[in-house]
Amino acid sequence: MTFLKRYLIPRLVQYFLVIWLGITVVFIIPRLLPTDPVEQMVDMMQMRGNVIDPAATEQTIRTMREMYGLEDGILDQYLGFWQRLFRFDFGPSMYAFPTPVVDLIAVALPWTVGLLATTLVLSWVFGNLLGGLAGYFTRSRVLKAIDGVVMCVRPLPYYIVAMLLIIFFVYLLGLFPLGGGYSVGGRVTFTWRFIVDVLRHAFLPALSLVILGAAVNHQTMRLLVQNVKEDDYVRYAKLGNVSERTIFARYVMRNASLPQITALAMSFGLVFDGALITEIVFSYPGMGYLLFRSLSFSDYNLIMGITSLSIVGIATGILLIDLLYPLLDPRIRLK
Amino acid sequence: MKRWLSAVLVMVVTAGVLSAGGEEEGGSQAAGGAADLLGFPRNETLHANIITGRVSAPSNFNEWVGWKNRDRGMQQLMNESLWTSDFINGQGINGLAAGPPEYNGDFTELTIRLREGVHWSDGVELTADDLVFTVELLRDTPGMNFHAVMQEAGNVYAADRYTAVVELTQPNSRFHTYFRDFWGALWVMPRHVFEEVDDPLTFEYHPPLSNGPYVLHSFDPEGMWTAWERREDWERTPTGMLYGKPAPRYVVLRHIDETSARVIATVRHEMDSGYMPIESIRAALGASTYARSKRPEFPWAQVGAPTVNGSILNTRRPPLDNREVRWALALSIDIVSLLSVTYDGGAGMSALVVSNVPQYLQQYYAQMEEWLADFSLDLGRGETFQPWDTDAPARMMEYVTARGYPVPDNPDDAAHVFGVGWWKYAPEAAAALLEKNGFSRNSEGKWLLPDGTPWRIEILCSTTAGGDDYRSAFAAAREWSKFGIDAVALPTANVGTLGAVGDFDVIASRPVREPWGDHPDLYLSFNQLHSSFVEPVLGERTAGHRSRWSDPRMDAVVADLKVTDWGDTERLVEIGIEGMKILVEEMPAIPLFTLLDLVIWDTYYWENWPGEENAYMVPFHHWPNFKYLLPSLQATGN
Repeated sequence: MTFLKRYLIPRLVQYFLVIWLGITVVFIIPRLLPTDPVEQMVDMMQMRGNVIDPAATEQTIRTMREMYGLEDGILDQYLGFWQRLFRFDFGPSMYAFPTPVVDLIAVALPWTVGLLATTLVLSWVFGNLLGGLAGYFTRSRVLKAIDGVVMCVRPLPYYIVAMLLIIFFVYLLGLFPLGGGYSVGGRVTFTWRFIVDVLRHAFLPALSLVILGAAVNHQTMRLLVQNVKEDDYVRYAKLGNVSERTIFARYVMRNASLPQITALAMSFGLVFDGALITEIVFSYPGMGYLLFRSLSFSDYNLIMGITSLSIVGIATGILLIDLLYPLLDPRIRLK
Repeated sequence: MKRWLSAVLVMVVTAGVLSAGGEEEGGSQAAGGAADLLGFPRNETLHANIITGRVSAPSNFNEWVGWKNRDRGMQQLMNESLWTSDFINGQGINGLAAGPPEYNGDFTELTIRLREGVHWSDGVELTADDLVFTVELLRDTPGMNFHAVMQEAGNVYAADRYTAVVELTQPNSRFHTYFRDFWGALWVMPRHVFEEVDDPLTFEYHPPLSNGPYVLHSFDPEGMWTAWERREDWERTPTGMLYGKPAPRYVVLRHIDETSARVIATVRHEMDSGYMPIESIRAALGASTYARSKRPEFPWAQVGAPTVNGSILNTRRPPLDNREVRWALALSIDIVSLLSVTYDGGAGMSALVVSNVPQYLQQYYAQMEEWLADFSLDLGRGETFQPWDTDAPARMMEYVTARGYPVPDNPDDAAHVFGVGWWKYAPEAAAALLEKNGFSRNSEGKWLLPDGTPWRIEILCSTTAGGDDYRSAFAAAREWSKFGIDAVALPTANVGTLGAVGDFDVIASRPVREPWGDHPDLYLSFNQLHSSFVEPVLGERTAGHRSRWSDPRMDAVVADLKVTDWGDTERLVEIGIEGMKILVEEMPAIPLFTLLDLVIWDTYYWENWPGEENAYMVPFHHWPNFKYLLPSLQATGN
């Protein structure tokens, strides 16, 4: 009961408060920007083919405001948004009118989650393990060599790494497709052929993310381990003749991993924002492009849909990690 | 460590298996490959890229609501328009229409005669009832595109099976232009489909019917590609009737975001027709012997597009409210320097709001030559200055020659490529105009406004790096900075909003809405400058031209154009010249150059592209004219 009253319930209240506050801020900020979705749309329509006589522009804008639900006051829009949100309805996208925002997200999200969740885990596991080994076994030549490679790769801009992969694996070797989520003409089916096709298309985007993600984790973990292994309890363990393997796995890595676990949890929340540059370079489907487009056109509903997911994702990730932390770190206990 | 090595080995093997799978089934990636995943035979399929980005609403083909990525094939393959602009051949194409529009004497009635025998892809004949229904539905349904302008349509009826009559609520000699395709138009909808629809605003129109030579085959729900298949009854479409059987059985429009990836796609024969920046075109030409551009040599691109780029000046924001200050900005630009920065000398200079297409060179530039030469500015202190500079193209050619590029021998072609003249680079004259209006320079040579504060100019442009607006903004900023103005280019996604509410100094964009290219009518270009659309208060949106400039003389020009028959081209040119003289005098926008329209073709699978030596059609795969080009393509047999 104490746990419930003194920790869980206040923590849940805080969780919902953060979500409410975050979503409210995201509702307000786009409306304070100098970008108007209707003006942007009218401008685009005029630039891209539709003749709108100036005399008819006012009426066109008025009609579009009504369709987009922007004629109501801000408070009405805000209340309407929350009413719809509980039905998981973010309204129609203004840019892709009248397609519902939920439909756009439903199509894009699986690609992003599939790619980013996988690469996050892979780069976290590889990066932390190799970084931990490099930080602990500082005399290993192999690990030193890996460290050297990481030192070279880590500062490279993501775009350059991605382009190098394309030039090498696509242009020079011709091993992988140039872009897209699957081959042109393919249909989404749960067949082995389609799955292999999807994996082939995802390989280079994933590799580009894993390389740099693992490099970041590697360097961070190496530094963490180098610090932890100098702690008194590690020295005592060594003096107590505890095996090197146990010290590394149970004493050093376990303690050094704690901040990395928090970072991982927060990164999972950011998955909903997608990976814009990856999507652009590899013409890969996903949420990043959707978010970019929504911001460019001030598509309020789409912005709200994506950022709401992101806010909930990050808040939930942190909540879970807060709840799980005592299991990972015995020093943290509710008094 | 062994476990790690095993894991790495597994990854390498997996990668090998995946890439090997690609070799086996992803034939589209390699030259000579047999088929795409779903079985598009590569030698019967044409691949091109979508230039408007990933399709925003892939399953929605209802073009009559909101904006759609119409270059996913909707305008090039699926929809025929009543008329289509053709700036290459210099006259429009009658598509669904059997002939030009017919107005009555006072332009209150428009008669449209349809081509007989055109059928929708479901076998139903396209008749005047479809056209009448389209106009009525758009007119009566708020929220649909063209709803506002269709209010001009009063009684609409079918005089017979192939003749539609639109009675207009007020005289309008340009009502038909809504149906004239110039990268977008009002398309005719199938009555038998839409009359069954409860809410046309939310109707997805999927699968769509086609009245063009191709029908939808499949598309990616994520909007990356759309595939089209040639209709079995292609001969029952205007394309088939006018030009014959389109050569490719399938056409795939695909989005490739990154320009370097587009180069690779061209070199690997994955993209037969592509749009990319000029630098990428040159890279592809260097990497593939099968790649070719519109022009085989410098400047490689289509040089005579109908569109001009320039700088729109906010004439409601001092000091740009002063015509002489606006002229000072024009005279402080060295056009050769500006064009060398933007396109390495490849874009033609355009001093007027019409481009360097041959017909406009003849209709406007040639006829205004004398007036332009005589035109002068009052610099004060009794001095006048004649700014017209016919030597500028020669200086451009010198630059180009020095760069090692060949210059056209033919004078007409040289005019087409480089233009016929621009304003003199005259910083002294510009300084005189500014000093006449109270400007001064500080000790560093920087210009100060009449109130003594530094003169700063911000040039808004789109964020598309490599786009015309972007290049033009940075080049103009460079020229004005050299002259001593604190000028900066500001790429922003908000050009639309900021332009509409007047929150800018200068916008890099089209000086006015571009004219047709194949027709001298400038009504659309000038109408937006009518004083009735000007909102004098900055911060309030304007429906008219972003410059917020107006002039009673221009109102008269617009009024004249409005009552001049579309077919009376001689009179239209006369009025157009009057309007252009006013724009030169007042300079609310500075036209700079004719857009360099870009395309690259891969000739590995398809040949007989409309290159400069064989310019039989508008050469772009994203234009509506693409369907008229396809019958002329020839399969290479590869």
